[in-house]
Parts: sequence; structure tokens; C-alpha cells
Amino acid sequence: MSELKVGVLSCSGEECLGGTISRLATRQVLEELKMVTTVTLCLPLYLAGGQEERNFAKVFPTISVDGCDKLCAKRSTEKYSGKITGFIDVSKIIGKENALNTKIVRNKDLTDEHLQMVDDVASEIVKMISQMSPDSYEGKSFRGCSCGSE
Amino acid sequence: MLEKYAILPCNGLDKCAGVISGEIAKKLCEGKKNEIICPVFYRVAETKYNKMAGEHPVLVIDGCQTRCASKLAAEKNIKISRKVTITEEAKAHNVKINNNLRLLENENALIEIILTALNKTEDKLTIIHAEPSGIYDFEYDTYQHGKFIFRVPRNPEIYYNENDCWAYIIGNHARVGVTDYVQQNLSDILYFTPPDIGGIIDQFGDVGEIESSKSVFELISPVSGKVISINETLVQKPELINENPYELGWMVEIELTDIEGDKELLIGFDKYFEIMKKKVEDLNG
Repeated sequence: MSELKVGVLSCSGEECLGGTISRLATRQVLEELKMVTTVTLCLPLYLAGGQEERNFAKVFPTISVDGCDKLCAKRSTEKYSGKITGFIDVSKIIGKENALNTKIVRNKDLTDEHLQMVDDVASEIVKMISQMSPDSYEGKSFRGCSCGSE
Repeated sequence: MLEKYAILPCNGLDKCAGVISGEIAKKLCEGKKNEIICPVFYRVAETKYNKMAGEHPVLVIDGCQTRCASKLAAEKNIKISRKVTITEEAKAHNVKINNNLRLLENENALIEIILTALNKTEDKLTIIHAEPSGIYDFEYDTYQHGKFIFRVPRNPEIYYNENDCWAYIIGNHARVGVTDYVQQNLSDILYFTPPDIGGIIDQFGDVGEIESSKSVFELISPVSGKVISINETLVQKPELINENPYELGWMVEIELTDIEGDKELLIGFDKYFEIMKKKVEDLNG
């Protein structure tokens, strides 16, 4: 049976705080906000050649969530799965200085400020998904199977 | 860990094991000289991390058997000094990891176990499990001929030669062993004679032998490289090759020197499965 799905490909980087925030925000959308239409795609697996992840992003509308303006997730998605449906640059939400902070932050060390950043980015992801309609992009379907069949 | 390491975690968001890999990497960097190689940014801009990996030993932390971090290291020609796979550690320590991405009691306990093991280990370039469990949970296809059932793992990282030997590629290493076809034909295997550790092996060179009451079989290495480890358990328990030839019955671990060249002369599951079926039919009528 086909299902309504939107893929979210998070930066998942460790280079700077933006990666941490993008990853946590994506998880918040999936785990806490429980958007049933959302599927997280694993960027390291996607980059390593994961065909399921790449096929999913080819067939289903997918948005990228990047930690900084290097836009690793967006560029990778476009390279391997074609046009992306939407993208979020976390540095534009939390500020470039914050996003590029290279101090590693573990989950237990998250401050209220960090958690607010996660909330803000998660809200943007939800907003973007909510605004998507089948007419807002070309060539991809809300319904289908990640094997490529409709 | 006395020396400074460059740590390459898979950092995946596909499974909890990926999240654990990232957490361990971060903990290893707390108050220490270790540095993280970002598996995502490394794909985009490699100069910084190539330098880091060239100057320091590299610890690879894979979340699961997909081994994204190991594959990345192999693509970048990084020499892996130490390696941890979270799902293997969980199995070895009988810790059940949850299915979502949260780090709860079990996951945190596993993190502490792995960190303790890493910190205890002497600072020499070894893989944490010199004798890894060898349990991979491969998916198998089977071919039945009479009462015999021949199993072959369907895994894109396993390559075969027509001598009925397999190589499971893990980063820049490969585990090597014999197929189910060999062990069934030999029947009860009584002896395993391993090669010397440190020996240089050519592709299709001998890399140990096994002997049953019926015959002696020389393991023909599908890959070239240096022998870095042997499955010592088989010396005492060669019957493991009969019981589980692709996992517990792995025989030799080789550090690869030319895997891309080697692959040109190897075959994957589909072709080997057909060859094996024909051999079975020819042999048994």
C-alpha cells in the first residue's frame, strides 16, 4: 500500500554546532512532534551509496536540513537524487556565528539556548513540510514506493 | 589511548547505533587531544581531514554492518588503526539497543563499556577485537540438492573466487574463508593450519589449509595483502568451519593492498551461486 511520505535529510555533521542542531531538530520532528509523514534519511549512509536512501529521495519529496552554508546535505541530494523539494540552512535561523561554533556539544551539555535553537529549527522543518503540496514541485510523488514504483 | 587519534564515526541517523557512534566519538574528545573527522564534511572537503588522518592513527566507529565509516575510510585510502562496530559490541556484551534514536539506559551502558575498553587498551595499533565474534547476521540464499542444502550469503561486500573461497570486505581489511560447498564436500574438518601473521599474500595465493578425513583443501585467497589476524579459535575448534563457514568459520584477516584490482578477478553472489549450483549438480549427478 502506498503511503504519504516526505524525506528529511539532515546534515548530521560534526564539524560545527550547526550540524548538531540540525540533527537534533530532525530527530525532534520525527520523535517528539511525530510527523507521521516524515522519514529521516541517513546522510552518511546516503553518501556511502545507500540505494534505498537515494531512491527514496528520487521518488518522494525530500528536504535537506543543513547546519551551515556549505549545504552538504542539499548538494549531496541534488547530486545523487535530483532536484530537492526544499532546503533549510540552519545558520540562517540560529545565526552564522552559532552555527559555525566548532566546540563539540554533547547531548548532556545542551543549554537552554541550544534547546531553543533546536525548537526553532524543528518548527521551520514542520512549517516547510506543512506548506508542501503535490503541486509545489515537479517529478516527485507524495505516494509511491522507494523502490521507484508509483 | 595515549596517542592522539583521529576519530571517524559513522554518525548515522538511520539507527540508534549510529547515534551511539557519534556519542562515543564526542566522549573520546572530551578533555583529550583526539579529534573528530566529520563523515559528512569529509565528503565535501577532504584536505583538512586527509591531513589529520595522515598525521594520526585513525579510529573508525561504525554503527552497524553497513559500515559507512569504514567504506568512507576505504574510499579515502585511510589506514585504519582501530575499529569498533557498535552492533557487534552490543552483541558481544549482550546489550540490546533500542529501535529509536534515543540514548537510554542500555545505550549509555554500552557506551561506557566501549569507552572503558578503548581507554584500557594499550596504545598500539590493533583492532579492538583481535578475535572478533564473527557473527554478522548475513542473509543467505540456499540451494538444495538431495538432502544437502548449500548456503551462500547475499551481501554486496562479499566476493568469491571460483576456488570456492570468499572475502568479506570491511574497510581496508577483508576476512577470508571457504564456502559452504567446500565444507560440505570435505565433511568433518579436523585441522586448520593458519598462515603466518605478517605474511604477504598475492591474490590467489595460498593462505592456510584445512584438512578432513577425506582430503586437504588449500585456502586460495581472493584478495592480496598482508595477513594481520587469524581466527585462532579454529585451531582448537575447526568444526566451526562446518557449522558456520561464513561467520564463525572465518579463517584469516588480510589488510588489503589492491582491492580494486583484486575485484576485477572476483565474482559476486549471483555468479558464484550459479557456479556453485553447477558444481553440485556435476558432482552429485
